[in-house]
This record gives sequence, C-alpha cells and structure tokens, in this order.
Amino acid sequence: MTELRRLREAFRTSLDLPPDAEVDDLRYQDNEKWDSLAHMSLVAAIEDEFSVMIDTDDVIALSSFKEAVRILGEHGIEFRD
Amino acid sequence: MIHPSARLVDAETGRVVAGGELSGLVAAAADTLGAVRAPGPVFALTPTDVDGVVRYLGAFAARRAVALLDPALPALPGLVERFAPAVVTGVRGAAPAGYRDANLPGLGPVWLRTGRDGVAPHPDLGLLLTTSGSTGNPKLVRLSRAAVRANAAQIADSLGIDGAAVAPTTLPLFYTYGLSVLNSHLLRGATVLLEREGLLRAGFWRAVDTHRATSLAAVPYQYEMLRRLRFDPAQHPSLTTLTQAGGRLHPDLVADFARRMGGNLYVMYGQTEATARMTVLPPARLADKPGSAGLPVPGGSLAVDGGEIVYTGPNVMMGYAESAADLARGDELGGVLRTGDLGHLDDEGFLFLTGRAKRIGKVFGVRVNLDDVERSLAAHGPVAAVAGDDRLRVFLEDGDPRAVRSELAARLGTHVSGLDVRAVDRLPLLPTGKIDYRALESTA
Repeated sequence: MTELRRLREAFRTSLDLPPDAEVDDLRYQDNEKWDSLAHMSLVAAIEDEFSVMIDTDDVIALSSFKEAVRILGEHGIEFRD
Repeated sequence: MIHPSARLVDAETGRVVAGGELSGLVAAAADTLGAVRAPGPVFALTPTDVDGVVRYLGAFAARRAVALLDPALPALPGLVERFAPAVVTGVRGAAPAGYRDANLPGLGPVWLRTGRDGVAPHPDLGLLLTTSGSTGNPKLVRLSRAAVRANAAQIADSLGIDGAAVAPTTLPLFYTYGLSVLNSHLLRGATVLLEREGLLRAGFWRAVDTHRATSLAAVPYQYEMLRRLRFDPAQHPSLTTLTQAGGRLHPDLVADFARRMGGNLYVMYGQTEATARMTVLPPARLADKPGSAGLPVPGGSLAVDGGEIVYTGPNVMMGYAESAADLARGDELGGVLRTGDLGHLDDEGFLFLTGRAKRIGKVFGVRVNLDDVERSLAAHGPVAAVAGDDRLRVFLEDGDPRAVRSELAARLGTHVSGLDVRAVDRLPLLPTGKIDYRALESTA
C-alpha cells in the first residue's frame, strides 16, 4: 500500500496533477500533461523515490502507471492492494 | 535552396519524397501562393510532415515572405490581427473575421484574406520567425531570403554536410534550430527524416536505425534526456555526429557526450536574429577550448563592444516586426547584430559566453522575457524572476508557490520542472530600491 501511494505521488508531482487525482489508469497517450519533459521528470522521480536505475528500454516503455508498476516489480518492488 | 538530390522521408509512413516529385509539389504550392492576390505575408502553421515542409518551400520559391508558426500557437489570433497575412496555411477550424475558408491546390485547407488592401512586405523579406515560444505577443524576426540561404550554406560547410547525411527532426521546424537542420540538409542534397514522436519513444530509435540517420541535433534538455536514456552510439551504428545549440550545455555534459561520440560533437551558438547559427566549435578543439562556443561560421566575424558580443555576417536579420507596417521595412542592421550576450574572445578568436545583457531567461531552450513573467504574475504580489541553467527561478513574497508554478507553466506552455518557484519573506533590494537580481541569481 505504501509503495502504491509513493508511486501515485510521483506521478501526481511529475504531471502536476492535484493531490486527489486518480492516476492508476493513466496512459502516456491519453494525458496531455504527459509530454517528453514530464516523462523525464517522472522517470527521475521514480528513480529517486524507489532508489532504482531504470534502463533505456524501460524509460521508453514506461508509458502508463501499470507499466511503471511492472518495471518496478522487476526491480523487486512489490505492490499490494 | 533545394538540391536536386535532397530527400524527405516520413518516419511514420516510410513515404519518400525526392527529386521530381518534391520539386513538383513545391512548384504546385508556389504557383498557388503566387496567385494569391492579397498583399501580406504567408502564415504557415508547420507540423513536422511532408505537407508542412512543402508549404514552407513553396512560399520561399514563390518569393513570398513566410512566417513559420507552431500549429498549436495560442497567440495565433493576435498575430493574424497584427500582421494581416494574405493567407494562413495548415489550418484546422473555421476562418476568423476578415478571412474565408478555402481548399487550394498544392496547399490544402487555408484561410484567405478577403480584402485586397494592406501592406506589401519588403521584396527581400523571405522568412519570419517568432522570438519566443508561446508567451505574450511575440515579435517577429525579419530574415531576408539571402540570409536564410547564406546561413544554410554556413552551417552545411561548418558541419561538413553532404548528400550522404541523414538527419531526423528532433526539434520543431518553426523553431530556428530545427529549421536550420532542414535548410542545411536540403541545400546539400541530404535526407531529412521527418519524425514526430521524439527522443523518448521507441519509434524514434527504430526510425534512426531503419533509415540510417547519421546525426542528431539536440538542445540542452535533450542532452539530459539522452543521458538518462544512457544513449550509446554503438547501438545505433549509423549515428556518427551530434550537434548542440539552443543555450549553454553544461560543461560536464559536453565532456560526457564528446567522449561517447569519440569526439564528434559540435557545440554551436546562435540566435533567431542571425537566422540560426553564428559560431561552431570544431570538434578537434573541444578538449583544448573547454567552455568555448567556437569560431564564427564562414563569412561571419565577432567583436566585443563593452562586454557585449557583436556578430557581423550575411545571415543577420533585417530587423524586428511588431506590426504589418514593419514588414515593408528594409534592412535596418546592415549585417551587424548586437547579440545581447556578454562574453569575450581568446587570442585565437574563440568565443566564450558569460551571460546575458538583457533580462532574458531560457526554459528548456525556449527564450522567455523575465520582465514579462513578472508582469504576468503581478496579481500574486511582489515577484521577481531570474534565469537559471535552462530553467527559470521565481521568488514570491505572497502567494502559493505551487499554484503559481502550475499557472506559469501553463502560460509558458512548459513543464513545471522547468520552473523553480519559491516563497521569500522579502525580495532583496538595492539601495536604489530596485530588485537585487544578482543576489537572487546567486541563491542556490
């Protein structure tokens, strides 16, 4: 739960969304605030928050909230509801 | 300006437009624009696609002054009112007052001015570009056709561009650096790969590999992206060269990318007021001239006057335009540009930039007038804006920094990470009562 909350917060901060914004279904192509600058900010925020290094393919693949969960899962970070 | 071997390739569709087909499309657009009776410039909303490039080249071939504009420009209605274009190409949506919708051969949907009155632009005038992104009421930079051609050749010579070069678009074509990549490659019969997705998408790198791109043009924030992507040229064997402009690149990044590219990094300096490029640092001198912006492009020269860099060359603008009447004016600068940048030249003539004489900042490569920023935030109480490294710093006495940051990002059309907005008890003042910007700039 804590991990999920931290990831949601990273998305809200990077995409400049309100604190109560629903982000679990966010996808790159649907959100106009999610441009290339926001993307770099988001990758940086996730790397800092979870102390991981996201590799090149995953920086490019990170195109949705769910994809971020998958990528972090590969780094051994578990998300439980 | 188009070499007979020049090619356009659309990255998404793979469509190749070259030779007789390209010249035919350009001629068709030129014929139609030549037949537009109303005086005034052509406004070309320019997406990164074949049609957008053809409309630009067609206007140039028809000897009509053409303004290249962001298709998403919020300031468009104001610009149309101020500059009274004869025709607006690349439009979506209904024509504003004084214009009618039309669908013209070689151009597609346009807005045509209904009246025949108005000001004829000066015959030398070829290209109009905005000085800043989407902020406020942009001025237009007036560039002669000769200046556009001269700078394309200066750049092609400095970078050694030939018919084998393949350059993907990494920047918008209505932005001086992006346009200079197009012009300098078309001039020398090279290939321009029209790519719209950008460095962070898998499609971009597939296009680089499929079409064997040989160089990438990038501004400082894109170098930060490339670093984060752990860009490795060994994975893209056709890519041999990187070029950089659009503001100072941090010396660590210069050294880093010079190393990655085996030295093939071109650090450059320019302004829209000089069409695009004024200096290029030869890669062979990266190591012994760290921090330098290089030597003038062929045909250009530099001088320092009272600390300000003054550039002289065939690519300098005719002047600015704030209204339709200004478009009729001739060359007001005589090839001499006071850049507003501070710096010095070393004993070999290499340029070193140290700062700005004017109150101008940059956010992700887009020029921002700091006084405009302060005026736009005046409702929040005392406020001061200073330039950071490709970022903006704003200090507030009252008001909520987070809300101001969101508001300003929306107005500038940029991302909030380009803005550092902080609350302070009191803005520091000089004995004269003016804001002490030096003190704010030195705040970590």
